[in-house]
Amino acid sequence: MDAHLWISGVVYGLSMGSIFFLLAAGLSLCFGLMRIISLDQLLYYSLGAYVAYQVNVSTGLTWPAMLCGALAAGALSWVVERWVFDRIYAREITFTMITSFGILVAGVGAIKYVWGLVPRPMGIPVEAQVALLGVNVPVYRIIVIGIAGAVYGAIQWLLNRTIVGTAIRAAVEDVDQVEGLGVDVYRLFTGTFVGAGVLSGLAGALHGPLVMVDPQMGLEVVPFVFMVVIIGGLGSLKGTLVSAFLVGQVVSLGSLVYAPLAQMAPFAAMLLILLWKPTGLYGSALLRR
Amino acid sequence: MSHPDGALVVEGLHVGYGEAQVLFDVHLAVPRGRLAACVGRNGAGKTTLLRTIAGFLRPRAGSVRYGSVDLVGRKPYEVARMGIRYVQQDKRVFADLTVRENLRLASYATGDWDWDVVFKYFPRLKGLLDRKGGYLSGGERQMLMIGRALLGRPKVLLIDEPTEGLAPAVVEQLGRVFEELKGQATLLMVEQNLPLVGRVADVVYAVKEGRVVAEITDPDAIRSGAVEAYL
Repeated sequence: MDAHLWISGVVYGLSMGSIFFLLAAGLSLCFGLMRIISLDQLLYYSLGAYVAYQVNVSTGLTWPAMLCGALAAGALSWVVERWVFDRIYAREITFTMITSFGILVAGVGAIKYVWGLVPRPMGIPVEAQVALLGVNVPVYRIIVIGIAGAVYGAIQWLLNRTIVGTAIRAAVEDVDQVEGLGVDVYRLFTGTFVGAGVLSGLAGALHGPLVMVDPQMGLEVVPFVFMVVIIGGLGSLKGTLVSAFLVGQVVSLGSLVYAPLAQMAPFAAMLLILLWKPTGLYGSALLRR
Repeated sequence: MSHPDGALVVEGLHVGYGEAQVLFDVHLAVPRGRLAACVGRNGAGKTTLLRTIAGFLRPRAGSVRYGSVDLVGRKPYEVARMGIRYVQQDKRVFADLTVRENLRLASYATGDWDWDVVFKYFPRLKGLLDRKGGYLSGGERQMLMIGRALLGRPKVLLIDEPTEGLAPAVVEQLGRVFEELKGQATLLMVEQNLPLVGRVADVVYAVKEGRVVAEITDPDAIRSGAVEAYL
């Protein structure tokens, strides 16, 4: 196969993996800290895309529109955390998962009500292309990859270099112990949930120009995000990054080999990895509820 | 009933998990600056008692008071911020955090960044600051857990089975620490090591099947291990 096609496919896969990472990182952190499966993150992803689209259409500005999308998603996630999750953290994980799925479905309904069923095209902020090993690659995709890398670095810095991050890492191990030291873990929960919402919104806003903004876009990425979180290992940020890029490449390169592989190959990869490491690539068997 | 300031008083406490009741009408009082020990067999409800006082469990009935303040209904972090610290059993330190990070976290929560008090009782920890909790011995973990609880000048220490599985030399060291801490804080300790209890306790509560079956305050009876008759 043409090497140029492969290079283009790798960049495409990395940018897709970056979107998956931004989306799955919040989900993974929420599970690690609060032991909830927050499917409503996919609503914040959709909302981020729609708000970015709307602001972009109204103002003609794309980057500020994306920022607005991320912030709007964060604001909605704050409301949901305060009004819903704060009351059900102690319930079974299946209860929180079903609740979050209900929020997602209701939210998608609201999006359809406001913006309609027709997919909307969103302007791309940078249309230039750059030559990479003789292949023209869209600069915007490289920027998306760079943003994902910067977000990963920022989260690692937060977790490893700040006292709040230390508290989060400790609470991932044992929430009771952290609370017993006098730390208000519920504020940590809120902060983490809203942070996850902002990341999901950012993922949607960044993805908007690469796909059509669509009411179903959140539901369509559910299987991929699940795969990323499970392959990486529940609660592991590093695992989420590696897994996101892996799934992105499997989808992208798989489609170059044989188009239907784009949908099927990630599931096969997940099965093989789970057979080899049942906790995922970087998951800990010690994580307990 | 009135109690002097600083006393930890439990009255008529009923606690359960779901439909299973674990504690039945528990009463106890630990005067300020004294050490009370709860002894009893596994499953008697001793840990449930400490977890209830620390705010992790909400009682079905009864009260837990520190001085004039009712602790029931407060969240664990609020209880901890009042100076009532719970040292859990099983030597649960944060395995992925270094000793320094463990102490920083306790300092962050209490606002007390002076670790001299920790190193005064446990000088060994000073040389282990960069070691992760997961690589500490059982004794070192226990020192770290008690050390963390000492930051912020605690008023009450709730300590759950501190000597379980530890070498005699470490038990001896912890015994000395507990004797020194008496007078500075009120201590309520769950402990199965009766010789240690005989050495450090001012009052002993024997707990059996969720009930306090004996309160022993006679120092000679405590020292002689008379509590064993109630287990």
